[in-house]
Amino acid sequence: MSEIRIDQFLAAPECEIMIVRYHDIFQTEAALKHGKFSKEYQDLSAVIMLDPADLKKIDASDGDPVKISNEYGTVVVAAKKSDGEDDTRASEGHSGVGYMPASVWSNILGSAPVSAKMSRSQQKISTIRELIRV
Amino acid sequence: MACTGCALLCEDVEVQDGEVRHACRIGTAHILNRQQIDPMVDQKVVDIDDAIRHAAAMLADAERPMFLGFGNSITETQSSGVRLAEKICAGIDPCSVHTGLINEIVHSRVRTCTLPEVRDHADVIMFWGADPMNTHPRLLSGYAYYPRGKNRQHGWEEDRTAIAIDVRRSHTASICKSFHKIIPGRDTEFIDGLILALRNKVPKTVYDSKKVLKLAGTLKKAEFGVIFAGSEMLGSVPCDAIIRLMDELNEFSDFRILSLYHQYNLRSIAAATNTDTAVSCERPGGCDPTRLREADCLLCVGFDLANSLPQARDIDASIIVIDPNETLTSGYADVVIPCASGGVDLAGTAMRMDGAEIDLPCIMKNGQTDALTRMSDLNIMDRLLEAV
Repeated sequence: MSEIRIDQFLAAPECEIMIVRYHDIFQTEAALKHGKFSKEYQDLSAVIMLDPADLKKIDASDGDPVKISNEYGTVVVAAKKSDGEDDTRASEGHSGVGYMPASVWSNILGSAPVSAKMSRSQQKISTIRELIRV
Repeated sequence: MACTGCALLCEDVEVQDGEVRHACRIGTAHILNRQQIDPMVDQKVVDIDDAIRHAAAMLADAERPMFLGFGNSITETQSSGVRLAEKICAGIDPCSVHTGLINEIVHSRVRTCTLPEVRDHADVIMFWGADPMNTHPRLLSGYAYYPRGKNRQHGWEEDRTAIAIDVRRSHTASICKSFHKIIPGRDTEFIDGLILALRNKVPKTVYDSKKVLKLAGTLKKAEFGVIFAGSEMLGSVPCDAIIRLMDELNEFSDFRILSLYHQYNLRSIAAATNTDTAVSCERPGGCDPTRLREADCLLCVGFDLANSLPQARDIDASIIVIDPNETLTSGYADVVIPCASGGVDLAGTAMRMDGAEIDLPCIMKNGQTDALTRMSDLNIMDRLLEAV
């Protein structure tokens, strides 16, 4: 018999986050080389760089899917912890602010900087076809 | 050869046996991009002549057509597009947050300079909401920071001070001598604080006053300062605040500003359409959804509407896409017309981000490895012009 986890019956903790967009040369390259419908492009685009404090607030770990929603739209992207030694973009704390690459995943939330609610999600990462409904 | 991967239009790019030399990652991927599309009507593959005929009929029947993009088209195509727009009373929206500042620059309401002038004279360079290491990789090595210039013989080590102002510590910020972190959406407060500091007043601001005063001191000492204004700045700062800052800086020093955008020929279309009355810059990509919703036919030329404004999927207008490659919008557009890519398999001219006219010979010539045989967007535009 599988173990019953009580947390699956509880709403995932939620927090407010300010979304800021950034440009990533590897993501731009992937769009040109493989196309915007490619997995390579999605892997580099459907992400949000989060401060460890924000990951803790929503009880999520590096790589977990997180749901971000506001009045403009909803999207599920992968959370990335942004204090890695090799990540100069986030060498200082940025609690309350999440960095997303400029793409349809961030643009669906409206013009950055824009605030949204964020929580850990059981859903899969949104695909580009789901977002633009093709 | 000139690379049309971004608005720097680097002129030293070569292609031999399918190998691109001297270009950056973006330029190389742009030149070798083969995500081509088939001509389509209602998402079914058709002959290109049929696609053009359908597009012409849609434009002729439209009561409120609107053209989007043209920033990734050669100047000749833009001129033809403007004529077509005039003929059918269509609005043209380059869909960029940069059009406002470009307009101020073009009309000399704010001081600017050329990229070679930056290389030869600039001693203080500010990257504001801009991360050229990720968007214009050769800007720093070609003009803005590393090279030695006529009056900057000691290069970046001694002769130049780079400053980054941004909402996040970007890769570019990591090589700058100072970094000022902006609270998202509160750039204008930083500008107001900086203006007070330039007047030797202690700014009452949410930002660190001492740091702002120190920045003001550096800017005042500049012999030739340049601000590279990126999308993240122009998306949240009104043009009048930028002009106020530039006027103040020029009370003490010699400061210029350049808009750092991606589309290789945006300046030309922005100037041609006189964007004084053009788009609001409130949305990603500069598109104003209210204006888009008023249109009944959208012609996207080298512009991916669905990427910049995913909510545009709900707009009840017919959509025509003219683009060298597959885009998100081409995935649901009513008519898709593939075209040649300016500077890659189509020769023409373009205006670099500093206003210099650049010839764009074909990089991929017939007979060369990977040669392409696509119809030019100029030809397509001329045929639409004839048909309507």
